[in-house]
Amino acid sequence: MNGPGVWRLALPLGLAQLMFFAAPLLILLGTSLATDEHLREGSLRAWREVLGDSFHIQSVVNTLRLGALTVLATLLLAVPLALVHMAAGPRLKRAILIAAVLPLLTSVVVRTFSWIVILGREGVINSTLIATGLSATPVALLQTEPGLILALTQIEMPLMLLPLIAATARIDPSLLDASTSLGASLARTLSRVVLPLALPGLIAGSTLVFASAATAFISQSVIGGGRLNYLPALVWQQAMVVFDWPLAAAMALTLMGSVLMVVGALNLLGRGARHA
Amino acid sequence: MSLIQRRGLLAAGLALPALGARAQATQMTAAVYPGGWDEALRAVLAPRLLQQHNVTVAFDPLFAVDQIAKARAARGTPPFDVFVLDPGPRVSGMDLGLFETFDPARLPSRGVLPAGYADNVGAAVAAQVVGIAYNPQKVPKPAGWRDLFRPEYASKLGLTGFGTTFGTISLIEMAKALGGSETNMDPLFAELRRIRPSVAAVAQPAAMPGLFQQGQIDVMYTNTYTVTLLRSRGVPIAFAVPESGAAAFVTTMHIAKNSRNIAAAYQYIDAMISTPVQTALSLDPYFFVPVNKEVTPGADVPMRSISEITNFVTHDWTRINPLRAGWISRFNREMAG
Amino acid sequence: MLDVAPTALGHRLDMDGVRVRYGQTLAVRDVTLSVAPGEILALLGPSGCGKTTLLRTVAGFIQAEAGRVLVDGAPIDRLPPGKRGVGIVFQSYALFPHMTAAQNVAYGLEARGLPKAEIIRKVEAALAAVRMEGFAARKPTALSGGQQQRVALARALAIEPAILLLDEPFAALDRSLRLDLQLEIKRIQRRFGVTCVLVTHDQDEAMSMADRMAVMRAGHVEQVGPPTELYDTPATAFVAGFVGTTNRLHGRVEARDGMGYAVRLDAGATVMVESPRGFAIGDRVMLCARPEQLTLRAAENEDPATFPARLRLSLPLGPALIHDLEAGSAEVKIQQPRQGTPPPPGPVRIAILPGAKPSLFPEGDSA
Repeated sequence: MNGPGVWRLALPLGLAQLMFFAAPLLILLGTSLATDEHLREGSLRAWREVLGDSFHIQSVVNTLRLGALTVLATLLLAVPLALVHMAAGPRLKRAILIAAVLPLLTSVVVRTFSWIVILGREGVINSTLIATGLSATPVALLQTEPGLILALTQIEMPLMLLPLIAATARIDPSLLDASTSLGASLARTLSRVVLPLALPGLIAGSTLVFASAATAFISQSVIGGGRLNYLPALVWQQAMVVFDWPLAAAMALTLMGSVLMVVGALNLLGRGARHA
Repeated sequence: MSLIQRRGLLAAGLALPALGARAQATQMTAAVYPGGWDEALRAVLAPRLLQQHNVTVAFDPLFAVDQIAKARAARGTPPFDVFVLDPGPRVSGMDLGLFETFDPARLPSRGVLPAGYADNVGAAVAAQVVGIAYNPQKVPKPAGWRDLFRPEYASKLGLTGFGTTFGTISLIEMAKALGGSETNMDPLFAELRRIRPSVAAVAQPAAMPGLFQQGQIDVMYTNTYTVTLLRSRGVPIAFAVPESGAAAFVTTMHIAKNSRNIAAAYQYIDAMISTPVQTALSLDPYFFVPVNKEVTPGADVPMRSISEITNFVTHDWTRINPLRAGWISRFNREMAG
Repeated sequence: MLDVAPTALGHRLDMDGVRVRYGQTLAVRDVTLSVAPGEILALLGPSGCGKTTLLRTVAGFIQAEAGRVLVDGAPIDRLPPGKRGVGIVFQSYALFPHMTAAQNVAYGLEARGLPKAEIIRKVEAALAAVRMEGFAARKPTALSGGQQQRVALARALAIEPAILLLDEPFAALDRSLRLDLQLEIKRIQRRFGVTCVLVTHDQDEAMSMADRMAVMRAGHVEQVGPPTELYDTPATAFVAGFVGTTNRLHGRVEARDGMGYAVRLDAGATVMVESPRGFAIGDRVMLCARPEQLTLRAAENEDPATFPARLRLSLPLGPALIHDLEAGSAEVKIQQPRQGTPPPPGPVRIAILPGAKPSLFPEGDSA
């Protein structure tokens, strides 16, 4: 098995990747540089329209900001939960893990639509606010960016929590004892021992949540609505309603490129932290 | 076992006696709108087609725009034999040459259709009547399209753009009511910009029924089918015919270019317009608006027979289609914020 | 070298009636132990005997239900682990994997907010003391097990603890490495004069390292004393069995003369044994004899103080010869200096070596 021909084992996947990933990507690139999807004539019109139009640039910014804010929100909730998981007994550990995985067993569509029920003008949150007298009139949540982030935080939470818990579960509990006995405060133990050791999980989770939230077409459309513009819905619209494939291709590549850039930056950050 | 599988087995059970006597059934594929259409055609049309013509049909659930995109991407080898399309995509399909030339003479039941409902492009199989839907417990009945821009309606209004046929038609009707025309949307966009901060929702068309059901919006523009369906599920909703008249359009079926099942495709469309199928489809739980002159439309449909459809507002999609991409993108921008 | 003169270190540790409960079970039952300044005390016992629990109670990770822990007479029970002046070397070493050896050693000093220059000086001194000065920039994964242990020791000593706790410090090491490291740690401990508690389940480790050992069983201390004392005069059959090897021979008291008892062994001999414990005539007893307290006699020997056995095997073990015998239902091991040729397998008789002092326990004082 260790002979020089072992690389051949990777051949089927390599070929599949080439055929089903690299080739379509090249076609996409070609389409974005053409006048139509038949690729007969080259044109930079689509790219000019994407990169030279403040509306489209704003949509890129919106999309990246949505990803970043969702990462932030999931981090804020997942980190304490992972710490609780770390300190918990086996039964609570299992309960936390089940609670983390459970949402994955429901489809994103169902989870998204149930957020309409929660965020709506007559939804669970507003009914509670009005019943408890905290607010006299319904608060706008549905079709607002905060509402969308709230929903995405729940929808994407497993993607943050699972890698994070996987990382913290690998931390030897005696490291925490060692830190405490060496005189470190809880804050120092968390910042100097737990956080650096959980960092790979944090970065993996952030990468997954960012990529997933920035491209969450269904949640963005259904909860965000038409007043918030994000690239995925615009790509769909251009490709499927307007039939402007070059523009759709250029937008899709812009979306991919900007998401990849952030993901790459996150990975660099992780590598830097490991070498520090 | 899912509903679909169970239905499939039922159909297979019905087919068994026939199979002994007849030759192997012909296989064909038809595109169908996901959701209500898919359910209805599987339950009503498919068994009828098998029984009458020994044709089994596989359904490919796709929205109109997806059907055009898929057929277009296939470049010559159609992924299905029959399209089902609204007027806008129908024109796109014609422009792109995606359909076989249609011969109405090959439909034995063509006599049940109003004149002009089958032509050399395809045949109408259902109608849609578009108007204003409102929650009678929350708002008074709106008189017309202009009312939607008054504060008491605007704050409860759900807007959807030019992405769908009913959305496009409704927005055109609003433009006309505000002083524009079928090709001039400027007055509409000016008014939309004004009410944008106060409207209850700007949403994807598929999200509108859910938003209405949840009370996020109390007014929307939609078709009678949606109104009837929501009310059958206990949602307080009523259909208002605008003073300028309800708009109507027909959904048509077309045979895909280079289809290898042309005979079966005609049998499929013929079964679709036949009186038994159109009758079953017009009833609970499907609530289609029939195109068959012998079938009476449901209670929410503001007409007694499809013959009356000539009194409804209709639109010229050959003029609308070229402008639609611009309107879509303009709607995005005007609503952004 | 650390700043404090080695002899000035050395603090007294007292555990006074310490009781620890886990749910329904008592893990530590009213243990009272003292460790003299500069002494190494080994807590020895099988797993689950409470030795680690006791150590973690001293460290402050576990709160005792009753009793006190005192350093130099001052109770430390209310203090958090980091303020107790206790340094710990963990079984897994618990080195921070993302830090270098030097960063690990500096960790406790930084937590104490020492000036940077002082930290650097103390880290260098601590690493030098464990002869790891050349490995300061290495991460733990780039160190061998023994090197990791030295770094862990340097980290624990760098904070200049009053008490050093070692939790099974050699369990993760190759047996061949252990003796060297045991000597090394003992040397370092002597030089710093730090009072030390060592938890182990390995009697050899306890014997070679400890000034005194406390044998624990089911949450209490069975016996505490210098290793040789525990070996020579075990207080209970359990201690006799746990510290060193022992042969258990059952019998009955036939006669008594002061502290001397004539015991009729079930194996067939009547032997004279001294015991400080009081037995009545007719009591069932268990004689615990070390392998080196017994000797072989010829099968024809008719001395009533010998009993018959069958020699199964003789194994040379360095300078000694180990005989494996069967005496009735009992297994017997005898160790004697290796001289001449070993006797052939077959029937022999066993006698207690003249001058040997085997222990006598009531029967049923099980191990």
